[in-house]
Amino acid sequence: MNETLSQIDGSGRQESMLVAAHLSKRYEDGVLALDDLSLAVAPGEIYAMLGGNGAGKTTTINLFLNFIDPTSGQAIVDGIVTHEEPLTARQKIAYVSENVMLYTNFTALQNLDYFARLGGQNDYSKEEYRTALLRVGLQEEAHGKRLRDFSKGMRQKCGIAIAILKDAPAILLDEPTSGLDPKAGLEFISLLDDLRSEGKAILMSTHDIFRAKQIANTIGIMNEGKLVMQKTTEELRGENLEELYVNYMVSGMAVAS
Amino acid sequence: MFKTLIEKELKEIIGSTRFAVTFGVCACLIVLAFYVGARNYQISQTRYEAAIAENFRQMEGITEWLNVNHHIYLPPNPVSSLVTGISNDIGRNIQVQGLGELRAEDSRFNNDPLFAVFRFLDLDFIFQIILSLFAILFAYNAICGEKEQGTLRLTFANGIPKDKYILGKISGSFLALALPLLIPILIGCLLLPIMGIPMSSQDWGKLALVILAGYLYFGIFLSLSVWVSGLTHRSSNAFLLLLVIWIFSVLILPRSAVLIAGRAVDVISVDEISAQKSVLNAQIWREDRDKMNEFKPSEDTEIDQIMQDFQKMMQDLSAERDQRMRELGGRLAEQRRNEQSVQERLAFSLARLSPSAAFSLAVMNLAGTSIDLKQHFLDAASAYQQSYASFMREKTGGTLKGGGMVMVFRRDGDDVTPKEIDPQEIPVFQYQPPSVATVFNASFLDFGLLALFNILFFAGAYTTFLRYDVR
Ligand SMILES: Nc1ncnc2c1ncn2[C@@H]1O[C@H](COP(=O)(O)OP(=O)(O)O)[C@@H](O)[C@H]1O
Ligand SMILES: [Mg+2]
Repeated sequence: MNETLSQIDGSGRQESMLVAAHLSKRYEDGVLALDDLSLAVAPGEIYAMLGGNGAGKTTTINLFLNFIDPTSGQAIVDGIVTHEEPLTARQKIAYVSENVMLYTNFTALQNLDYFARLGGQNDYSKEEYRTALLRVGLQEEAHGKRLRDFSKGMRQKCGIAIAILKDAPAILLDEPTSGLDPKAGLEFISLLDDLRSEGKAILMSTHDIFRAKQIANTIGIMNEGKLVMQKTTEELRGENLEELYVNYMVSGMAVAS
Repeated sequence: MFKTLIEKELKEIIGSTRFAVTFGVCACLIVLAFYVGARNYQISQTRYEAAIAENFRQMEGITEWLNVNHHIYLPPNPVSSLVTGISNDIGRNIQVQGLGELRAEDSRFNNDPLFAVFRFLDLDFIFQIILSLFAILFAYNAICGEKEQGTLRLTFANGIPKDKYILGKISGSFLALALPLLIPILIGCLLLPIMGIPMSSQDWGKLALVILAGYLYFGIFLSLSVWVSGLTHRSSNAFLLLLVIWIFSVLILPRSAVLIAGRAVDVISVDEISAQKSVLNAQIWREDRDKMNEFKPSEDTEIDQIMQDFQKMMQDLSAERDQRMRELGGRLAEQRRNEQSVQERLAFSLARLSPSAAFSLAVMNLAGTSIDLKQHFLDAASAYQQSYASFMREKTGGTLKGGGMVMVFRRDGDDVTPKEIDPQEIPVFQYQPPSVATVFNASFLDFGLLALFNILFFAGAYTTFLRYDVR
């Protein structure tokens, strides 16, 4: 496994928190959703997976959470192969799904409390929940409201707050900005920046080229289950990411660099 | 973590509007069932006392014990009023004579047919319907609902073992529903002493077992619902499937079991028995007539002697006739009893495929209102008949009423004014309802079945969920 790590993460940076090693997934119906994906995310780093619908982003995240088993290869979290020790691996992951759904009969605070406890955090005070909600931009008056009255964006914010409260070393975000308005999107970016400074390893999938460029350390472009391009933001400086992205989408031929 | 899971179920279920409304309705119905049972007992008790008084009143002024028309009555019982079973369908009144077959008459439904139309709102019925629906209504989407809602995914993004989760889910929802249900049940129990229902400790024991059976029954439908909710990925499908299962369990299976058993096992009918009896009767009469025709007094005998011979022959014929009729009657009755018990066994075995039937049979056995009640009452009456017969023999000097023709010879010219009889001398009929130990033994099989259903469905829910795709 260390071999795999050094292969992928040969940059001499700190050992990676999230590693996909030749990860492939073929679904029961024969669709090859992920084809030999290798990537690594170190603590204090944000990796953005860009790709259209059906590119394999959610599949990748599901493999990291071991919601599905890989057909071949490994998803590794903090040195733990997820399909070998899923429960331990999940303890090290905070996750925000594409469309955050929480208990509609519970208030935001109740949802936070429940999921914090599930995440192994039993000692938060109500104040800390409120602070977390304020941090993700949910106004005070919404904290005690039931989730059934929340908009998609408000739910998304709760989901992010839950992820923050879990205080796990790795964070997986599946299209986290999709339900947020521009202002909330901006706040979210700065929140991600904070989390990165705290040393979290963040893997996010997104359609949003602009935000990806703004925040990520590394950007990977995925198409039909393959990682077709992977560059750091430094390497991308001066390049037109939109153009690159569209080109890769259209041709789909280029190989990961 | 287990505590967290259970707490969440409690909060989620009890905090919902669905719960407030449904629980309100269920609670009212449960309390109502207790109230109706208590009222039912009070009414039956009044009638029972009135019937006994009337029985004695009819004996007033009678001077001959032979002219007494004595009736005994099935006394009401508090638990039987709560779980009525067949107690309203069978006769509660038996005319006792020194000899002969006893027949119970005047069932409650016979006197008040209106009640037969909709039956009573008893605990058996209420528990059977309410507890199962209550469980289904809150657990049909236990798993697939969370999946649809998307919360299952987020839950399992944490290090939660699936087995712990499903255990927490089932025990949490059981507690969330079963604990509140205790409130109306306890209120109902409290209602009994308040309404002056004399509950013996035996009665309380039986009632406690009835409630225990109710909880077992509730557990069956709860784990079944969780199971079904883990078999599908759409809660609407789960609900539909559970509704179908419910209809089968509560309505279709028990009834078709009886129907099938009725078809499969022929039982000689009461009509056929009486037809056979009258055939024999007619035949005997023909034979007797021939014998009477053949009666030829010897020529030189006195008329008195002839009369006496004739009388003797008549008495012999009558005795023989009785004997033959009794033999046939006994044989047919036994045949009917045997066939009935085969039929019953088949019907109940089939019906027990339904948890609702198993529950119903369990609580009827506990309340002493199962199908055996009729026989118990008759047995008690037969035992009583013995002591009544010896009492009468003592009073009348050997003559007994009932079996057939009775001839009373009385010498004329006795001008002593006859003394009135004292009805209080008649031995008192006491119906001893079966003890807790007896009824528990009788319902043991059904308790076992209820437990088995619980284990089966729980295991089903458990193993299904371990393979459930939580994405
Ligand atoms: N459960 C599944 N069974 C079969 N095919 C699936 C399943 N989930 C996703 N796919 C297919 O896998 C491919 C990748 O899907 P996904 O990872 O969801 O893409 P993305 O999140 O990038 O939009 C798509 O072609 C999709 O149709
Ligand atoms: Mg996706």
